[in-house]
Amino acid sequence: MTSPGWRIAKLVAVLAIIVWSLGPILIGVSTSLSTQREVNAIPTRWVPHHPTLQAYHDLLGGTSNQRAGGTVTEAGTFTRSIYNSAILSAVSTSFILIFATMAAYAVGRLRFRLGGAVLALLVGTMIVPIFVVVVSLFKVLAEPPVGPSLIDTKGGLVLVFIATLTPLATWLLYTQVREMPTEPEEAALIDGCSRWKAFVRIVVPQMSSGIAAVAAIMMLSVWGEFLIPLLLTQTMNAKPVTVQITEYVGKYTTNYPILAAAGVLALIPPALLALALNKRITGMLAGSS
Amino acid sequence: MPKPWNRRGGDRTARETQILGWLFVIPSLIAVAALVLYPMAHGWWQSMNSGGFLFGEKPGYVGLRNYRDVINDPVSREAMAHTLWYVLLAVSLELVLGILVAVTLHRVFRGRGFVLAVLILPWALPSVVSGVLWKRVFDPDNGLLNSLLMQLHVINQPHVWLAAGRGPIVYITLVHVWGVLPLVSLIFLAGLQSIPDEVYSASAVDGAGPWRQFRHITLPLLRPSMAIALTVGTLLAISIFDEIYVLNGTALNTRSILIQVYNTTFAQADFAHGTALAFLLAAITAVLGALYAIALRRSTV
Repeated sequence: MTSPGWRIAKLVAVLAIIVWSLGPILIGVSTSLSTQREVNAIPTRWVPHHPTLQAYHDLLGGTSNQRAGGTVTEAGTFTRSIYNSAILSAVSTSFILIFATMAAYAVGRLRFRLGGAVLALLVGTMIVPIFVVVVSLFKVLAEPPVGPSLIDTKGGLVLVFIATLTPLATWLLYTQVREMPTEPEEAALIDGCSRWKAFVRIVVPQMSSGIAAVAAIMMLSVWGEFLIPLLLTQTMNAKPVTVQITEYVGKYTTNYPILAAAGVLALIPPALLALALNKRITGMLAGSS
Repeated sequence: MPKPWNRRGGDRTARETQILGWLFVIPSLIAVAALVLYPMAHGWWQSMNSGGFLFGEKPGYVGLRNYRDVINDPVSREAMAHTLWYVLLAVSLELVLGILVAVTLHRVFRGRGFVLAVLILPWALPSVVSGVLWKRVFDPDNGLLNSLLMQLHVINQPHVWLAAGRGPIVYITLVHVWGVLPLVSLIFLAGLQSIPDEVYSASAVDGAGPWRQFRHITLPLLRPSMAIALTVGTLLAISIFDEIYVLNGTALNTRSILIQVYNTTFAQADFAHGTALAFLLAAITAVLGALYAIALRRSTV
């Protein structure tokens, strides 16, 4: 495949992949640096003639911008939603990693009775579509067996994320546990190490690269989740950025600079995470499929 | 096959292994049981009972009546037809483009690492944000697609992209595919990497050109990857929600089954019919999943 025709075709294909992947993001950045007037200008300005941070200023500082297109932002609302998303991602991911690492080790290595059935049950729930659960979840969280309602709390959301994402994390780590050499752990056990100590000292460090990849995938999943928090939150007490951002979509007209600024700010954390860990993430996604 | 240390350590280690095994899976099992399995059972019960106060009837067991209702409901039916379109369009685009991307990025070239890093960005972003980024492109009045096509003299006046006909479903699918294509491409890339180079060099000796190699070696050997991509693509497209919600709200012309479930359950406060429709979709999903699993087994044997 070294003829000039093929090389040109390949170059075009590579460029197309870059434009397709980055294009919408760049359009978002360009729009967020425009004013309403520049967005509406004819002929279209793909890049603003007078770039401005006004949209970010309005979004974060909370200027009412009704004149420009019907969006009203309140000071601190957007920042609060970013904060909620960060807390939800960090706390959920920590619990998911602990639960999933233990479960993956147990079903992958310990060969305890019914281990295969437990794995089948966990993986089976991955096929259960979230929407079958989410409608009833509302009622379950509103009237839990003990304590007050968990609707509109970050704690309630964390519980739901743990339950819905732990099976996937367990499966991803299980495929890794099965491929890991068993000799280091066996040696430790023969030396008189207990199973628990061998797990903490030998197996978990062995799994660390897989755990890092799964941590990234879980953080991205929680950060991007929309339907669950849309139904289970009401106020800024727990509302994440994905739900808040839809408030900037106007019913008839949309203030594009503010919407784009919100989109750009919401995509920076996941984009940085994906870029930083991209080799591990791609390896894990491709390897366990 | 018992591991050697289980024998050597005697009963104490064996029992320790059993207990530790259960202790290690109990947290996951409790979480899944309380917040997936129990709500599922609750929802199933809900879908078999009457809608209650809104319809002026007493809550009570009605069997499969809610299921019959949603199957006969014209709006739900239309949502099912839309969902079929979303799935067909998304999956075929993802398979074709995914194979093209994978073939392009398979061989090592300068800058490949950069392209791979850029490639996964759309997958990493929340689908709500994808919708936000694309929204200006499809804006009916002064959207970027309109002005591009007008500047190229393809159209003479702005086209209302999200307003009528089948068009809107196509554009929303495109946004959905933007987010899913990276994952599908990686699946195919992994598939390509598992094909040994010797197969290609042997066929090159036999005088096969790139196109014939692609037809007769690459495509057949990618069949397991295709089955996986088909499964992943279908599962993600059949439950499409976020992109529709951001780009066109709950408008009738783009309503998917899941948007209809949302509308029935939360806008009309009709939990019974909402859950019935959700379970119907779950049943369809499960059947498709089983079919794909069979296809996957066939293609790998």
